[in-house]
Amino acid sequence: MSEEQVTVIKNKRKKFAEGPNFTEKKEYRPENVHETGLEFVGHEISDDGKVMNQFLHYDQLYTIRHGWNSRFFKGLLEGKIWGTRCPICGDTWVPVRTHCWNLDCNLAKTDWIEMPLKAKIHTWTIAGWSGRSSLKRLPIVLIYAVIEGSKVAIANELHCIDPWDVEFGMPLKIVFKPENERIGAVTDFHFEPDDDWSPSPTNEEKERIKKMIEPVYEWVKTMK
Amino acid sequence: MGFNMSRKICFVGGATTPFDYGPTGFESIEGGAAECIRETREDIPDFSLRDIDLMIYSHFSVHFGHQLCSEWIIHDHLGLVGVPQYRVENGGNTGGSALYAAVLAVMSGHHDVVGIVGWETMDSVTQSQGSEFIALASDIRYELMVGGIYPIYYAAMANKWMKDNNVTEEDVATIGAKNRNNAMDNPKAQWYRNEHKYITVDDVMNSRLISYPIKKYDCCLMSRGVAFALVCSEDYAKKVNPDGYVTIDGIGLSSCTIRAGDRLNFPGWTNRYGSNYPEMTEFGACRNSAEQAYKMAGINDPLKDIDFGEIHDAFSTSEAQIYKALGLADENNISQFLHDESTHMHGEIPMNPGGGLMGYGHPVGATGIMSAIECYYQLSGLIPKKHNSKKSEVPDVKCGIVNSHAGTGTSISNFIFRRH
Ligand SMILES: [Zn+2]
Repeated sequence: MSEEQVTVIKNKRKKFAEGPNFTEKKEYRPENVHETGLEFVGHEISDDGKVMNQFLHYDQLYTIRHGWNSRFFKGLLEGKIWGTRCPICGDTWVPVRTHCWNLDCNLAKTDWIEMPLKAKIHTWTIAGWSGRSSLKRLPIVLIYAVIEGSKVAIANELHCIDPWDVEFGMPLKIVFKPENERIGAVTDFHFEPDDDWSPSPTNEEKERIKKMIEPVYEWVKTMK
Repeated sequence: MGFNMSRKICFVGGATTPFDYGPTGFESIEGGAAECIRETREDIPDFSLRDIDLMIYSHFSVHFGHQLCSEWIIHDHLGLVGVPQYRVENGGNTGGSALYAAVLAVMSGHHDVVGIVGWETMDSVTQSQGSEFIALASDIRYELMVGGIYPIYYAAMANKWMKDNNVTEEDVATIGAKNRNNAMDNPKAQWYRNEHKYITVDDVMNSRLISYPIKKYDCCLMSRGVAFALVCSEDYAKKVNPDGYVTIDGIGLSSCTIRAGDRLNFPGWTNRYGSNYPEMTEFGACRNSAEQAYKMAGINDPLKDIDFGEIHDAFSTSEAQIYKALGLADENNISQFLHDESTHMHGEIPMNPGGGLMGYGHPVGATGIMSAIECYYQLSGLIPKKHNSKKSEVPDVKCGIVNSHAGTGTSISNFIFRRH
């Protein structure tokens, strides 16, 4: 075999990129979650004997590979909000974009920057109903807030406020859960009113909202 | 755009199964598709399955049936082996996008007779699990665990929109009542088949809070259902339905961000419409796709030129937002437009006489097809035959709009239908 041929074969075996190793791994799923695969677990037949329903069970663990977005989610574990910025037009985002949205920037790769833990409410709502996992925490104030310097708004919860006191444009701070409770997801942080902010006096609309969500408080109390 | 304007695109027939939720003992999905085609053949007996040269399948989520490629089950059940087929998926705008694909297929001249079958089987999981499945169409990395369900995203958008446009909760509640009451004349509608009662604005206002300012009766229904529609060339339309065919004179499809918060300052919108649009409150993709459809159909004043519509009322608030995006009202008069009940059966431009998503139901892949079918029924004079009476018939209609809508306004299509 000539030397040239050997080189060709070596190059073929070379990987496009070295794969990452994962030594630090944390699992916190409930003990009763089992991946059983696809399984028929029951059936029912209507009283008139005409129609049959069958029950299929499926439970599957998914891996969300954050890839190039990883720094944002890893930053949450460290109590930091990372954003990205286009080196050409300067637009900055949280949620992050790894390539610029401006067509004239031709998908320029963006730079990572640490964002201030300050924001402003863009719009808000008071959830009186939600997905199963959130029901006990109702009512939840869900807001879209613009983190200082960002061009876009990000959704998250607003805590430490009576729901009827929320205002458009109010200043906020970003607060993280204690370090040992963080999981690297957006639920690691929430918004709170800025220290200098205080609610405006009560009014008719606030009283109306208060009445609207009263049943939600009552309903949550009855939950086990 | 290089449309082949010489070729007219026609809508000649279609039908849905009843829409419903729960163990109702409905047919299988393939059986439902077959029944929709059988009903279509009762209206246009000269249409034969042998004439179909393309099938487009409209289905949103495999999560609901846990069957990949369920269109393959339907397709061969219909006896159509050998006929080309593919599936279109585009969230809540799946039906509209399938219709768009069918129109393009005929417009290209490559196909003449295109069938569309749309379906969803959302009652295969619980309502709360269903809501979570739908929320998988949000950006799960950023939004699934905060808020987590679509009504909450829509409520946040609507809250600011209503303040900015001086629209009250009572104003939008009229829409929640209107569409359910319209469905009281439509035996296939989910509201007709279940709750079956006329409701008032007070009933909407007093229904439970979902997410301020949206209440239960401001929200659409989760459904099981199948729909079939037939799109074709004018030559074929003249052959099978010479008196009743409808022409599709304008089509538009547009897009917006998946996360509603990302549409602030988006260059794609700033370039088109200037700064501060669509904000987080307007449906830019609706305005943009309507503009495309209007231009193609020669609509200059939509309020005057369009007689009625079947539009995507996932929430009563979003139906109101859609009125504005369609150019029926602006920030100065949208409040008055709602006060005047302009879109009720007695109004200037009735919207969702068939019941819409809140009254008829929302089996996602079938929904946009259902809207198109109801629009066609109005234009071809079939309402007295398909509904229980003439109460939900818009008199003397010549032109209707069909609207299909996805995500938080992430993909939206509009179609102009005209009586030929
Ligand atoms: Zn840029």
